[in-house]
Amino acid sequence: MFDHGQPSYAEVNEDILSTMLETGPKYWMLLGTTITVAGICFFMPWFYQLVVGVGAAGMNRNAVWGSYLSNFIFWIGLSHSGTLLSAVLHVTNSPWRKAIYRSAEAMTLFSLMTAAMFVMVHVGRVWFVHWSFPIPNQMGLWPNFRSPLMFDVMAITTYLTASSIFIYMGSVPDFAAVRDASTGLRRRLYSIFSFGWRGTAREWHTLGWAYTFFAVFVIPLAVSVHSIVSWDFALSAVPGFHHTIFAPYFVCGAIYSGTAGIVTVMYCLRKFLHFERYIGQVHLDSLGKLLITLSLIWSYINILELFSTWYGGTSFELEALSFRLTGFYAPLYWEMILFCAFVPLLMLFKKIRWSWNKMLVISILINIGMLTERFIIVATSQPRKFLPDAFGYYVPSWIEISITIGSFAIFSTLFLIFIKWVPSISLYEVKETLKPLRRDA
Amino acid sequence: MAIVGTFAFEEDFLAAAKNLRSSGFDDISLLSPVPLKEAQEVLGLGKSPVRHYSLAGAIIGAISGFAMAAGTALVFILPTGGRAIITIPPFLIITYEMTILFGVLFTLIGFHFVSGLPAWKDRPYVPSANVDRFVVVVEGAAAEQAARAEAIIREAGAEEVRHMEDSQ
Repeated sequence: MFDHGQPSYAEVNEDILSTMLETGPKYWMLLGTTITVAGICFFMPWFYQLVVGVGAAGMNRNAVWGSYLSNFIFWIGLSHSGTLLSAVLHVTNSPWRKAIYRSAEAMTLFSLMTAAMFVMVHVGRVWFVHWSFPIPNQMGLWPNFRSPLMFDVMAITTYLTASSIFIYMGSVPDFAAVRDASTGLRRRLYSIFSFGWRGTAREWHTLGWAYTFFAVFVIPLAVSVHSIVSWDFALSAVPGFHHTIFAPYFVCGAIYSGTAGIVTVMYCLRKFLHFERYIGQVHLDSLGKLLITLSLIWSYINILELFSTWYGGTSFELEALSFRLTGFYAPLYWEMILFCAFVPLLMLFKKIRWSWNKMLVISILINIGMLTERFIIVATSQPRKFLPDAFGYYVPSWIEISITIGSFAIFSTLFLIFIKWVPSISLYEVKETLKPLRRDA
Repeated sequence: MAIVGTFAFEEDFLAAAKNLRSSGFDDISLLSPVPLKEAQEVLGLGKSPVRHYSLAGAIIGAISGFAMAAGTALVFILPTGGRAIITIPPFLIITYEMTILFGVLFTLIGFHFVSGLPAWKDRPYVPSANVDRFVVVVEGAAAEQAARAEAIIREAGAEEVRHMEDSQ
């Protein structure tokens, strides 16, 4: 489990808390950069769009959904591995989860927040977004719960709430450790955050039960969230959207991109917070094997989607498929296949799977492929609806491209703030993997 | 007056806890840097009541989720192609999400009730219990009992024994 020798309990506290309590100029420069990029690339174009109207984006009469929604699906997907993987590995009692789950859960939370931003950008008149919630408003409106978009609102709100509680509750003992290691205002703040945690047997016992229940609730929730997102498409009659395979396809894709995202985040944590001692080969190897499995499932579902369309023989579906495989966006489709179906096969070789740099490149390529996948679903289906008079093209405008770039800066900003407020690695769970403090150990 | 014993080793700490319990000390707290099943067994902590909160939350969520969707359909009637006003498949999705939402929220409430947190009042505590030490706290003992508790803790191999104020 530990590549550079097992640390002592006290060293675990020192190593992990020092990343929170000691901040160098590099951190502030990085944070300043991400905030600036988020402001310039995301918020300024969004403000421009609010002023001139949603027509500033490249969406048109046929393609009424564009990159905002494909980005929304991408970020929701990226959120999937964190909490889901953490919950599954907690329930199955997998020891390699312990060093990586906190940051993976944070990834979930911040991806969800970023995804929620895209909903607000997409709807245009963001000041009416509260109409989609079942709360009283001045027009006496109430949502229609038969709409898949309302399923989305309910699912994502629940997922955001559950993920926040899941990560917070798992962090309470560590907040107490921060409280004990700090002074002044920080100490007072962490006294509140930690609820006065002392680590008594009763507190551990209750937390253990509650945490397991959270995990048990979160697993089916995570599966439902991306299934529901897929139904935004699959419940319509649009060729290219209307597939029964969409729910497992989206869930698999979500876990796939989320796991690749974890590899990227773990690389950064290891490199910049010097967590080499805690995040080691066993984590990389396990994540690599998981990625290969997910890649094969994802490829199988893609083949199935092609086969069922061909076998169904509906001319509208065949036209949409033909446009996807050979039309305007065909290069993107084949790029997706290359990055998500073929490149991951390299991880079959242990030499590749054990190399942090190579795994970083593969994980980024997978997520480029997955971002493309979501774009292709949105951009090649609506412009090929049934009759030729509805045929057209959708090309994202510079505003959409800028907002897409800015979303990565928002995610990075949130993550950079997180690493200074919450221990990025769970102290007590890492200690559980160490030799127990016994005379005979 | 609370007697607070600090231990470097798990087995000494557990031995002290067992001896205190068998000597009739009921008001003891066992602090450790990691969850210890044996410590929970010493205190006789079995199945946690948190599970009742989770179940209650899930049931309330399911009922209220379906009621909200069905109630909305009945108040704002939208006839669609002769289909039923209360349509089960889409409402089950809302029910499912609300089941989980309330289940999670009630589990959170249950955690706070059962664990007694938040507790910002002053309680006997040794910060090293959050690092690498095990701590036994005996509270509410009279002078004679306190001396007996201290003897048991020392005998088990405590590194340090301190006297602190009881929980406020």
